[in-house]
Amino acid sequence: MSIYLRNFLRFCLIVALQVLVLDEISLRWWTAPAGFPVFVPLIYPLFILLLPFETPVWLLLALGFVLGLTVDSFMNTAGVHACATVLIAYLRTNVLHALLPKHLSEYPNQSPGVKNMGWVPFLVYSSFLILLHHIVYFTIEIWSVGNIGYLLLKILASAATSILFVIAYLLLFTRQVSARN
Amino acid sequence: MRNFILFIRRFFNLILFLVLEIICIVLIARTNTMQGNDIMSSANTAIGLLYQKQSDVKYYFGLKRMNDSLLNENARLRLMLSQKTETYDTLADSSVRVAIPSRDTNVKVVQYADYTYHTAKVINNSISAANNYITINRGTDDGITKNMAVISGSGIVGRVEHVSKHFASVLSVLSVKQKVSAKLKDGTTGYIEWDGEKADVLVLKDVPQQIKVKKGDSVFTTSYSFFPQNILIGRIFKVAYLKKNNLQLLYLRPSNNFRNMQYVYVVENKMMPERMQLEDSIKAK
Repeated sequence: MSIYLRNFLRFCLIVALQVLVLDEISLRWWTAPAGFPVFVPLIYPLFILLLPFETPVWLLLALGFVLGLTVDSFMNTAGVHACATVLIAYLRTNVLHALLPKHLSEYPNQSPGVKNMGWVPFLVYSSFLILLHHIVYFTIEIWSVGNIGYLLLKILASAATSILFVIAYLLLFTRQVSARN
Repeated sequence: MRNFILFIRRFFNLILFLVLEIICIVLIARTNTMQGNDIMSSANTAIGLLYQKQSDVKYYFGLKRMNDSLLNENARLRLMLSQKTETYDTLADSSVRVAIPSRDTNVKVVQYADYTYHTAKVINNSISAANNYITINRGTDDGITKNMAVISGSGIVGRVEHVSKHFASVLSVLSVKQKVSAKLKDGTTGYIEWDGEKADVLVLKDVPQQIKVKKGDSVFTTSYSFFPQNILIGRIFKVAYLKKNNLQLLYLRPSNNFRNMQYVYVVENKMMPERMQLEDSIKAK
């Protein structure tokens, strides 16, 4: 399967998962939330994280913007998701440079993944960017520092859940791809 | 000029990043000023259709719950009907003079009413954001326009914010940017706000302390807002006194359950355009 087609399909799959399934389940960490925020796990930043190593930064930014706007239109939050996604798309290359032993051009036709990065570097890479994405997203959405404890709780709870969902996604879909290659 | 082009080539990524972020911030700022932009909302046709398909799937899982809510509402309407049959012609006393067209031309009875109710199905719903939106499957083709009130069988829901041909998105009462005028049963008015945290807590602010309020008191809509009068908003479950300005905060549970709405009514107020025109003409002076 060509790399363009695969990424296009992944875009559709991840957006569909996000807006049709995950947005429907408002999670809580326990059943009677005494002041504990209701939140939705966001896995769509994973699309940006899984683009091939050699993707130029301008393309990352453009794709991040399109992805953000698509999710925004579904959730009626014009621009908020796009703002956070463009930021992580911009920082992605720098984070990869910092984490990988070799230069990015030495990984031709490969995408960041557990196979070629190992579990720990990949989790550091994805958790860092997802946490950053959530911080920007929830800060813009809630837009008040009056209740900073609530804001932090919401960011941490949803980032932790999103990362769990990202791991679940990887466990579900990586083996399939490696079997085909 | 050459230096300028070199500068652009060198910092192209940074410039693109900043441009995209500025576009995002402009978009965010535009929606926060209530007008919003209709393209970027779940009311546009493509997204509406997708949500419609999703709702068709979810529909079967909610049938039991929906039956229960319809039964409850039928019971309530029957009760109201039995109370109304004694004083049948109260509607004629209304100050409003818009006739409902009668289907049967032989009967020369003219009835008057302020409001027309359109039913609509909820096809997308959220409670976890700071401004929650509900998408419904009615649009301009069904006579829905912006700023109409939306209620459910048990209480208030929100206000229509974006409309397309077949869909509309409703800004829910669970929104930090929308206040609703409300009153207690003795007529004291105030504003209902949502603190953006829990889907089952609304706050009624600015009630003086000399007004005696008990737990379990009902709160209704007023005729000041776009909602019809005397619709139940919720019941008070906690009263907090503020020492600094002698006011009290009333916390209430909304009577409408925002977690499992299936059907709502969009309320068309026939006198609203005239009223808005009058009120705007005063503001313009």
